Parts: sequence; structure tokens; C-alpha cells
Amino acid sequence: MSGAIERQLHIIDFTVSSLLRRKGKNGALLTVYTLIVFILASVMFFTHAVKREAALVLRESPEIIVQRTLTGRYQPIPISYVESIGEIRGVISARPRLWGYYYDANFLANYTLVVPADQQPEAGTIDIGSGISRVREAFRGDTIGFTGHDGKPFAFVVNRVLEEESRLLTADLILMREADYRAFSGIPPGYATDLVLKVRNPREYTTIAEKIVKLHPDTRPIVRDEILRTYDALFGWRSGLVIVIFGAAVLAFVIFAWDKATGLSSEEKKEIGILKAVGWETSDVLLMKFWEGLAVSLTAFLAGVILGYCHVFFTSAALFAPVIKGWSTLYPDFRLVPFIDLADLVTLFFFTVVPYTVTTIVPSWRAATIDPDSVMR
Amino acid sequence: MIRVRQITKTFNSGRPNEFTAVSGVSLTVNLREVTVLKGPSGSGKTTLLGMVGCMSRPTSGRIFLGEREITSLSERFLTDIRRRTFGFIFQRFNLINGLTALENVMAPAYPSGERFSSLRARALAVMEMFDLARKAGARVEWLSGGEAQRVAIARALINNPSVVIADEPTAHLDTRLSHEFMAIMRRLKEEGKTIILASHDPIVHDTDLADRVIEMRDGRVIADGAGR
Ligand SMILES: Nc1ncnc2c1ncn2[C@@H]1O[C@H](COP(=O)(O)OP(=O)(O)OP(=O)(O)O)[C@@H](O)[C@H]1O
Ligand SMILES: [Mg+2]
Repeated sequence: MSGAIERQLHIIDFTVSSLLRRKGKNGALLTVYTLIVFILASVMFFTHAVKREAALVLRESPEIIVQRTLTGRYQPIPISYVESIGEIRGVISARPRLWGYYYDANFLANYTLVVPADQQPEAGTIDIGSGISRVREAFRGDTIGFTGHDGKPFAFVVNRVLEEESRLLTADLILMREADYRAFSGIPPGYATDLVLKVRNPREYTTIAEKIVKLHPDTRPIVRDEILRTYDALFGWRSGLVIVIFGAAVLAFVIFAWDKATGLSSEEKKEIGILKAVGWETSDVLLMKFWEGLAVSLTAFLAGVILGYCHVFFTSAALFAPVIKGWSTLYPDFRLVPFIDLADLVTLFFFTVVPYTVTTIVPSWRAATIDPDSVMR
Repeated sequence: MIRVRQITKTFNSGRPNEFTAVSGVSLTVNLREVTVLKGPSGSGKTTLLGMVGCMSRPTSGRIFLGEREITSLSERFLTDIRRRTFGFIFQRFNLINGLTALENVMAPAYPSGERFSSLRARALAVMEMFDLARKAGARVEWLSGGEAQRVAIARALINNPSVVIADEPTAHLDTRLSHEFMAIMRRLKEEGKTIILASHDPIVHDTDLADRVIEMRDGRVIADGAGR
């Protein structure tokens, strides 16, 4: 028994010195391999962190949103609808919301304007998110100007810069008093941006949505699950860009592994011959190659995953930001909450370490089964 | 005693380039003796040594190691016998570049699962015998020809084989080193090892060390007699 372990240790020992003496080749190999794992891991971490973040955000979001449409286009909704909709069975509460987007042409940034349900800022003042504060270099007490819906300038005093605990929520946010917002956005009194409902039982979503439409044919209820699905499609594994990046990396890996698989250098073949001639069995040689493949791929795997982790969570996926996020200039230092999905790591492991290890063994198999007397000439 | 009975080795059998390198060879190697195979290039010496040393199998015929018939054994057993019974010194040394002299000497013993510390001690002891202790940590490609040769011999002896097989051991050595090699073989013989050498170098086959000289030509034994 201890002999068997000792044998493994010897062979591992041999593998290590064997790897070390081809530093250049193995170093290059390791670098390419690590890079591929790094890309794959980054994509994986990134999509999952964003998805999770989105899910967290959406958990806070209302269960049903009611919008009004006219000829398929969005319209402000009369606040009077609240009463009739609130009376539908299963609806716990209905509340109008006032909010909208604002495009800041000077800074090429989008802001989200919201009238909070309670604790509205004083007239003429606003609370702003950290991203806006940074882009506009505006802090507590400063005055910033915007252009209203009618082209008139509006100036507000910054009352507060919002805390940073969840930047995805607050970075681009501007909180405003209702009267100020109506003047700024032009939404007339008696109208709101949309209505939000709380519902007792998720299984009633569809029935309630149907009742709302029957009651007010000009409305469009949106159920939270639909929003979740949209996010999923956007950031999920199957989403287009992610699949392209992922596919490219996997392809690179296959080419790389294939190259490895098809060629054992004549020097390596000779070495295998020598080992066999001096008394190694085919299985000993394969064991050595197995450890060799495992050592390289495990190192690359760990290095790639750690680098990917740092890339996504410490540098906010700096390399991907312009590609996938497409988020405004407000988010350059946007930090995702570190999160690791074990199942994904396992998947990544099986797509990289396993095939690589196999491709190091397979060509050696042929070399390992040759007659050892080949080295005698 | 190693008995070889009517062995034939045919390469590329059934193809246009079919070639019989050894045909119908029978011979007996006595233990604790030095047996020298001589003959011109291409006469089948290496091929014969390979079969005797369990490196390859004859196309037909049988080989007995003591009472054991080895030609029909599985690869696993054959490897095991090769490792325990034979120590090989190859024509081109066949050391593994990039590894140290010590690692090269230990390599044949790795699969045995011997404790690393005792294996290392044994390897160093063998190297000491050949005045290689100082070179244990050196990479083999930096060694001189004579040192490389002695590392190759140390490697052949690490598993304490009863039979040492050397194929053209002096082909890459100058006269002084060739004599040095023969002196080492003499020591091994005195230690009771069976030695089989293949060579067309007179330093090897015209020595009083040889108990038997077997001459080959075109894959056949043409003379088999006592040494000088
Ligand atoms: N794998 C092989 N396939 C085909 N022919 C082979 C093979 N191995 C050896 N031969 C041929 O068998 C013949 C005998 O070869 P071998 O190496 O045994 O000769 P040798 O007596 O050792 O020669 P030398 O003194 O030059 O080492 C040679 O003609 C060689 O070309
Ligand atoms: Mg030869």
C-alpha cells in the first residue's frame, strides 16, 4: 500500500522535474491556457454577478406595474385609476409613481429621476446618486442645472449625495419633490408615470392583469416575472454576446488542445522509450502524463479563475465594460458583489481541466505502447 | 542460465520491406560469465539483445530465463522481469536531458515504490562507486562523455540486476575511456554479475574478460567459442 503511494510520489516528483526543465514551452502553454480560463471565468463571474444584482434589484421592485398606452406608445396614467384597480380582488395596494429618464447631452449620461413615496426633498433641492455627483462634480450644497421638458433651464441645490451601498440602484438616481418634478417633466397634475400594485398571491398575477385590462383597456400591466425573464435573456449564458465570447474562448481552447494532442515532440517520444526500456510500464508512463496534464491544467485553472475573479470583482470587469455592459459613463467604478457559483466552477473545470488532461494522455498512449527496444538504435 | 532457442525476428512482416534481422538463433548464456556478441554492422546484435533483455518479443522461438519461459509473458510481467533482472547500457547512453545525474540514475526504480530516502541513498552509493558523487546534482547534458557513460552504468545497476546488457558500449568513447569501461565490467563480473556485450570494437571482444565470444552475420550465429 505504502509502496503504491510511494510510486505515485516518485512519478509526481519525476513529472515536476520533467515539467520544470522545459520552462519555455510549458510556460507558454501555461500562459495561453491561463488566459483562456481567465476569459471564460470572467464571463462566467460577470454574467452571474450581474444577474444576481439584477435579481436583488428586482426583488425590491413592485409585483405588477400598470402603464397606460396610446397607439402602443407609453402615456402618463390618470391617478384616478388607482381607486378602481385597488378594488380588484387580490390587490393589496395600488400606488401611483412619478419618475422618468433624463438625458444629459453635455455629459452624455442618462439619469433616472424619481419622486420618492415618502421623505421627498425640499422644494428646489434634489438628492443625487454617486455617479452623477462624480460626473457633474456636484456635492452637497452645490447647484446644478438641467433643461426642463419645455427647454427652460432648471437649477437645483444638491441636498444630499446618496449612499453607495447599492450603486446599481442609486448611481444614476436623482430624487426630486413631486411639484418640482411635474414642473420639470411636464406631467400634468392628476397624472402619474405608472401605477404599482402589491398582490397577495403570485398565482393571481395573470387574472389580476386581465381584470385591469378589462377595466381600463388603455392600460398595460407588466408582471415582475416578465422583467426577470428579460434580464435573464440579457445576461444569461444564452445571451448573444456572452455566447460569442464564450464560444470563441472554447474554440481557442479546442485548437490549443488539439495542437497539443497531435504532437509529441520526438524528444518526448524518445524519453518515453527510455523510461520504458529502463523498466517503466505503460501504465507508469501514462500516470506520469496524467500528472503532467493535471499539473498544467490545474495551475492554469486556478490562476485563470483567480485572475478572472479579481478582474470582475476588483476591477469591475474593466476589459468587458465597454462590450457587454453598455452602461453609461456613470458606472466606471461600479463594483459587483463578489459571488461564486460552485456549479459553474465545476462546469468550467470539466470543460478545461478534463479535456486537457485527456489530450496529454492520448498521444502518449501510442508512444507508451511502442516496443522499448526502439531506443536501442 | 539464459537459453535462446531458435529465435527469429522479422520486421514489417508481410510487407514489401519485410526484413528478417535474426533468424533461427540458438545460444546459451551462462550466469556469472561475460558473453560478447560480435559481428558486422547490421548483423542483428542489437535485435538479439533486445529480445534477450525482454525489450521486444521474437517473431518465433523461445527464450528461457532459468526455467521460466519468457516469450509468452504479458507486457506487464515482461516489464517486471526487465526491471528486476536486466540492467541496460545503451549505445547512445540514452540519458534523459534536463534531469540531474541523480534523477537519471533513480528513474528505473521509480515504479518500484521504494521509499524515496532509501532510493536516493542507494543511488548515491552507486554513483559513489563510479566516482560520480560530486556530479549527482548536475544536469546530464553538461557531463563529459566519460561521466555520462558512468551515469548510464550507474542507472543500469540501480535495480541491482543480475544481468547487465551493454550494446556497443564503447562506440562513443575514446580508447582510454573504453579501457575504463572494460575495467568497470571486470569489477561487475567479480561481483558475480552476468554480462552480455555487443560490439565490433576489438577492445571489447579481444579481451581476456570474455568467457564466450559469439559471432554473428546476417542474423545468424556463425561462430560460438570460448574467449581469448
Ligand atoms: N524496426 C526495424 N524495422 C526494420 N528493420 C529493422 C528494424 N530494426 C532493425 N532493423 C534491421 O535489422 C538489421 C539488424 O539490426 P541490428 O540493429 O540488430 O544490427 P546490429 O548488429 O546491432 O548493427 P550495428 O553493429 O550497426 O549496431 C539491420 O539491417 C536493421 O536495418
Ligand atoms: Mg547495434
